[in-house]
Amino acid sequence: MKPAQLTRGAIGVLGALVLWQLVSSAHLAGDAFPSPVATLSALAADASGASFWSAVGETVGVALLGLLGSAAAGILAGIVIGSSPAVRYATLALLEFLKPIPPIVILPLLVLILGPTARMSWLLVFIGCLLPIITQTIAGVHDTDPVARDTARSYGMGRTEILFRVVLPSAMPFIGTAMRVAAPVALIVTVVAGLLGGGPGLGQGLYLAQSSGNYPSLYGQVLVLGILGLIFIGLARAGERRLLHWHPSYREAAV
Amino acid sequence: MRKTLYVLLGVGTPVVLLAAWFVASAGSTNTFFPPLSYILERFQELWLFAHFSSDILVSLLNLVIGFALAAVIGVGLGFVLAMLPKVGGYVDPVIHFFRSIPPVALVPIFVSLIGFGIEMRIASITLAAVFPTLIATVDGLRGVDSTLKDVSAVYRLSTGEKIIRVFLPAAGPHIASGLQVSLQTAFVVMIASEMLGPSQGIGAMTLLAQQSFMIADMWSGIILLGVIGFIANMLFELGRRRLLAWYIGSRRLARAQ
Repeated sequence: MKPAQLTRGAIGVLGALVLWQLVSSAHLAGDAFPSPVATLSALAADASGASFWSAVGETVGVALLGLLGSAAAGILAGIVIGSSPAVRYATLALLEFLKPIPPIVILPLLVLILGPTARMSWLLVFIGCLLPIITQTIAGVHDTDPVARDTARSYGMGRTEILFRVVLPSAMPFIGTAMRVAAPVALIVTVVAGLLGGGPGLGQGLYLAQSSGNYPSLYGQVLVLGILGLIFIGLARAGERRLLHWHPSYREAAV
Repeated sequence: MRKTLYVLLGVGTPVVLLAAWFVASAGSTNTFFPPLSYILERFQELWLFAHFSSDILVSLLNLVIGFALAAVIGVGLGFVLAMLPKVGGYVDPVIHFFRSIPPVALVPIFVSLIGFGIEMRIASITLAAVFPTLIATVDGLRGVDSTLKDVSAVYRLSTGEKIIRVFLPAAGPHIASGLQVSLQTAFVVMIASEMLGPSQGIGAMTLLAQQSFMIADMWSGIILLGVIGFIANMLFELGRRRLLAWYIGSRRLARAQ
C-alpha cells in the first residue's frame, strides 16, 4: 500500500472517531450511545481481567475448531461425491436445497439437545461451514481436466495417486475459495451461537452487556469482534494465496 | 439411458429421504424428534394461516424492506465512492472494519438504541446488509475496463448515460454477487433480531416453542425458515439470471472455446 493511501486511511479512521465522539456528546440516546473514550476505557478495564481473554479465546477456538472439522469432513465428502456421477446427481437437489439455508435456522434445535455449551457452538459452526465446502469441493473435483486424468491413467497411476496428484491439485483453487469464504462465516456463527444460544465467548458477552445496560462494554466487545473479523478475513486471504501460489490464476498476478 | 438414471436419482433421493424420515419417525417417542406427520400437522395449524399475518408477514416485510433499503443505499453509496476515488481512500478502512463486524453483533446495539420494535429490526437488517453490496459495487466499478471509460468519454456520453449504459452493466455481475450476500445476511439478521427479546415473527415463534418445550412447533418453525431461506435465494437467482443473461451467456461462450 502506498504511503499516501495509508495516511488517507488513517485520517479517515481518526475522522470517524471524532465524529463518533461529537455525536455521542450530543446525548441523543442517553447512556445507550457511549463515547469512544468511554468505550475504549471500558474495553481497557475488561481487557485487564482474565474472563475477557478467556471469552476471546473461546470465541476464536470454537470458530477455528469448527472450521477445521468442517474442512476435513467437507473435503472428504466432496471428493467422495464428486468422484462418482451417480452420487453427485443423487445429492445435487438435496445440497442445492440446503445450501442457502443459514445455520441460525437450526440453532433452537441444537440448543435444545446440547444446551448452551461450547459443543453446541462448535456443532453450529461445523454445520454452517460444511455445505459450502462440500459443494465447492464437488465442483473442483468435477472440473478436473479429463485429459490430465486420462494421461495420468495411461502413465499407470493408481486411483489414489491420481487423486493426490491430479484431482486434488486441480480442485485446490475451489477448496481455497470455499475456505476463504468459510473463515469469516465461522466467526459469525460463533457469535450467533453465543448471542442467541448462550454458548460461551464474546457472543454471550454481548448479550450480558446489553441486558445489564453496560453499554460501553457492549461497544467495546463489538469493536473487538470487528478486529477479530478483520484478522480472520486477512489470514484466510493470505492463507489462500500461500497455498495456491503455484496456481496459474495467482502466478499471473505476480508477473 | 444413463441420463434418465441420473435424473431419476436426482429427483428420487430427496423423495426417498423424506419418506424415510416420515416412516422412521412414525411412532417416535423421542422428545427431540417427534413424528414428521405430527410436525406437518402443527405446521399447518400454526402457519396456514393462523400466524400468517401476525408473524410470517411481519418477518417477510422486515426482510424485504431491510434488504431493499440496503440494496439502494449500498449501490448508491458505492457509485458515489467509486466516482470520487479520493474520498474512497479516506473511508475504505472504516467501511472494511464495519464489514468485518459479525452482522448479528449489531442487533444488541440497535436494541439498546431504539428498543425491541420493528424499527430496530429493519435498522439492524439494513445496516448489516449494506456492506456486502457497498463493497462489491465499489470493487466492480473500480474494475471497469479503462478502455470502456475512454470510449464513453470519446462518445461524449453524459454522466447519466455513462452510469446507466456503461458502468452499471459493466459492474453488474459484481453488484449482483454482493446483493446475493446481502440477502443472506439480511435473512440471518432478520431471524436474529426476532430471537432477541420479546417480539413477534417466525424466529421469535420458533425460539418460544423451543423454550416452552413445544418440540413439534419448533420443528415446524425450522422447516418454515429453511423453506423461506431457499425460496428467497431462488427468487434472487432467477432475477439475476434474467438481468445478467448477456453476461452468463458470454461466460459460457468463453469457457466453451
